[in-house]
Amino acid sequence: MHSTAQLYKLKLDKLNVHFGSARAVKDVSLDFPVNTVTAIIGPSGCGKSTVLRSINRMHDLIPDARVTGKILLDDEDIYARKVDPVAVRRRIGMVFQKPNPFPAMSIRDNVISGYKLNGRVKKGDMDEIVESSLKRVALWDEVKDRLTSSAMALSGGQQQRLCIARTVAVQPEVILMDEPCSALDPIATLKIEELIDELKDQYTVVIVTHNMQQAARVSDVTAFLYLGELIECDVTKKIFTNPAKSRTEEYITGRFG
Amino acid sequence: MTKHLMSQFDADLNEIRSRLLEMGGKVEKMITDAMRSLVERDSELATHTIDYDHEINRLEVEIDERCLEVLALRQPTARDLRFITLALKIVTDLERIGDQCRNIAKRAQELNDLPRLKPYIDLPRMAVIAADMVTEALDAFVRGDDQAAYAVCRRDSEVDLLNEQIHRELLTFMIEDSGTITRAIKVTAVAKCLERVADHATNVAEMVIFMVKGKDVRHTSALENQPQ
Repeated sequence: MHSTAQLYKLKLDKLNVHFGSARAVKDVSLDFPVNTVTAIIGPSGCGKSTVLRSINRMHDLIPDARVTGKILLDDEDIYARKVDPVAVRRRIGMVFQKPNPFPAMSIRDNVISGYKLNGRVKKGDMDEIVESSLKRVALWDEVKDRLTSSAMALSGGQQQRLCIARTVAVQPEVILMDEPCSALDPIATLKIEELIDELKDQYTVVIVTHNMQQAARVSDVTAFLYLGELIECDVTKKIFTNPAKSRTEEYITGRFG
Repeated sequence: MTKHLMSQFDADLNEIRSRLLEMGGKVEKMITDAMRSLVERDSELATHTIDYDHEINRLEVEIDERCLEVLALRQPTARDLRFITLALKIVTDLERIGDQCRNIAKRAQELNDLPRLKPYIDLPRMAVIAADMVTEALDAFVRGDDQAAYAVCRRDSEVDLLNEQIHRELLTFMIEDSGTITRAIKVTAVAKCLERVADHATNVAEMVIFMVKGKDVRHTSALENQPQ
């Protein structure tokens, strides 16, 4: 049930992730406001990607991994016993660092692929879904005349936008992004950042990035993780002009990390 | 100039431009009001002008904060960086102009309690030129118009000449009649304030030239550097 007065879409409650005996994420409690972009920053190995992957239950696929604590999507724990992880992943989409369109599929089939996997599609609806998803990511004009051509013919930036189109086609509520621009050139990066700014109207976005300046440009809220712990989380402007914790300031100013 | 890929960046810069123009408009009003309070011997207007300085100070704080935000969140470079750092400096010049107007209004209050020394002719002229210079310098900044900025720099000498004229005239008064000294000194102070206002406007204009050309003409004779 979706409350119109809802402030937070997603809440992490004392999240812990162990890989074997190693504790990668330690008691992280973090709330993600609805229709905002939250950036998770921190040095390599701080646990930010691990936290992200907990949110759409990717660690279920790793035998060694153990997730404890709660993750609430609209106040319901996605790790509760009766919850289907596939259903979770339909509501919480993920975009990865390296654009990964399906190589054997056309642009069109790529967009619709996630939709097909999650339910039946009427033929008439397919075209509409493809067009609206590609328009959503500002890719439609560039590819509308070659929808049946291979996705691999697109540039890196276009491929990444295609992956985002694939993600939004299934109408998720949350979009997770794991360093979505790391493999892209600066201009493609800015275009994706502008897209992220537009996406928050409809979705709640969580982006993991090692690029602090990107976090500053693109997010409304920034969370700083260090050695598996949440050090500070606040409005982005405050984090980058006057953070509360000295550890945060040391990282942001490039004094360590 | 084409737009930024991040549209919010343009919005942020436009917000700063608007605020600067707003501050300039208010400062210009202060100059006019301060002069009127003297010429028309309106002490109530003088009081109002003194209080109005709070408005200028409020804008200074607001614009400083927005500039800081852009620096932290947008990593501006080149022209954008020059715009932001100069906006910070211009705000200081505008705030100083506000202070000078406050001083003029204070002198007006004092002079209005004393018999009028003489009809004011050159002072209002100075005020008009100074106010124009402020407006034009700010417009030049917002438009990135270095030619308009050079024009402002040239007008500074008009103001300096009027200031000297007023000094000489008042000196004559004081020598002839020592009873005028108190008032003459206050009037001289007003002229000095206006001369400072024009200097601040010139500072702004010099910064515009730097922003547009990447060429620092501060502390040089701007005329030497003007392209033919």
